[in-house]
Amino acid sequence: MVFDTLVAEFPFLLRGLWIGLQLLAALLTLGFVLGLTLSVMSVYGHWTLRLFTLLFERVFRGIPEIVLLLLFFYGIGELIPMSPFIAAVIALGLRSTAYQAQIFRGAMQSVDDGEVMAARALGLSRLATIRHIVLPQALRRSIGPWTNEYSSELKATSLAYVIGVVELTRQASYIVSNLQGNTLTVFAVVAAMYFVVNRLGNAGLYALERKMAIPGFEGRGRET
Amino acid sequence: MSDTPILSVRNIRKTYGGIEVLKGVSFDLERGQSKIVIGPSGTGKSTLLRCINLLSPPDDGSVILDGVTVEQKGINQLRAQIGFVFQEFNLFTHLCVLDNVRLAQRNVLGRSRHEATRRAMEELERVGLADKLDAYPAELSGGQKQRASIARALAMDPKLILFDEPTSALDPELTGEVVQVMKELANAGMTMLVVSHEMGFAKAAADEVIFMEGGVIVEQGPPSTLFTQPEHARTSQFLQMLTHEHHET
Ligand SMILES: Nc1ncnc2c1ncn2[C@@H]1O[C@H](COP(=O)(O)OP(=O)(O)OP(=O)(O)O)[C@@H](O)[C@H]1O
Ligand SMILES: [Mg+2]
Repeated sequence: MVFDTLVAEFPFLLRGLWIGLQLLAALLTLGFVLGLTLSVMSVYGHWTLRLFTLLFERVFRGIPEIVLLLLFFYGIGELIPMSPFIAAVIALGLRSTAYQAQIFRGAMQSVDDGEVMAARALGLSRLATIRHIVLPQALRRSIGPWTNEYSSELKATSLAYVIGVVELTRQASYIVSNLQGNTLTVFAVVAAMYFVVNRLGNAGLYALERKMAIPGFEGRGRET
Repeated sequence: MSDTPILSVRNIRKTYGGIEVLKGVSFDLERGQSKIVIGPSGTGKSTLLRCINLLSPPDDGSVILDGVTVEQKGINQLRAQIGFVFQEFNLFTHLCVLDNVRLAQRNVLGRSRHEATRRAMEELERVGLADKLDAYPAELSGGQKQRASIARALAMDPKLILFDEPTSALDPELTGEVVQVMKELANAGMTMLVVSHEMGFAKAAADEVIFMEGGVIVEQGPPSTLFTQPEHARTSQFLQMLTHEHHET
């Protein structure tokens, strides 16, 4: 009985999951592009840029996700109207920017100074050195820590529920209210769906990390 | 052939944190000449090399490369003409040997992929690494790494190459292969300025020896005279200390 309804409602859960995945992809992309830009600014930029990135990171890592969502959708959304989805992408994407900037900065700083010096000695410009020497190594080293960021943002997409994004968690609560109960069953299915997406994503990222490993260093960064 | 020196270092001064590391260093390097720089640790030898290509810009003085003043304007094209070989090799970890040697040729000199590959193969062959094109730095021995880094410098067709203790990070049994490559280069007419205490190279291939101490050049001269009849007491003391160290290790 519950099972039949669950089968009937499953397409709605899938639709919710699809929205959640779109949100995840959009916010991680925003966080990647801006995070990488901020990390380059904070490692190589003028002190004013470094100060800006420091403040940005402090602010966005210091505010709960839910407050950011409410702030963007109801607060800023009042001045610049935007859909719940867009508000969620911006709020969670900027927060992800702060975390990703930190990952990339650490990875960039871990690149051997000697290699940077060798590149400059050969005549590569600062920018060419960042592009050809620093980033290829830093991005490889970022995949491991980035896996955590993926997991944590996947889970954070469920919070977009509070501003009315019809993602997986919100679909689940619709179904629960339609079914008049069976909360445990429905949320168990939803939990399993988050879990599977999380594992698949992690497995994909670990595979990428192994594929990108520099020969001679394959032993490092393996999934344990 | 012109008789102006290929490199002219004029009264270089450099201060780090209030301490004057280079106190006015001047010397010339003629085309095809090899000079070796010796001196105690902390004397400013590495700093001098880094001042020449402005990796550490000098506070005062000037560097003239083949008649052109080395300055920030156009520095990347000037650096491309000055090879630099580091004690720690500093190969690019994420690139195979061939790409290590091709990158700057493509990016700085604007050579085609074909031309860069051709020059890279020539130089890798010269240093005996023709069979290691696809190897990554982590898969090479120290001696192979240093030879690859020499090939990387050579492929840029530099006017001279600066070496900063190229064999100091190597196990004793691996220094020979690097010294051999350097001797061949010197004999083939490459202009070289080598910071090293490798007496084998100094005696066999150096035209002149520069003894530096305390940020100044104490004396310089051909190896035959400087090693046997140094003018200054400090030079002979240092040379004695060097031979002692060599006997002990
Ligand atoms: N980037 C730097 N910042 C501050 N001080 C420096 C820097 N580079 C060198 N120094 C100082 O300048 C002095 C000369 O250093 P340098 O490395 O040129 O000596 P060296 O003759 O090459 O010594 P070694 O034989 O040990 O390599 C040292 O006292 C060193 O601590
Ligand atoms: Mg040194």
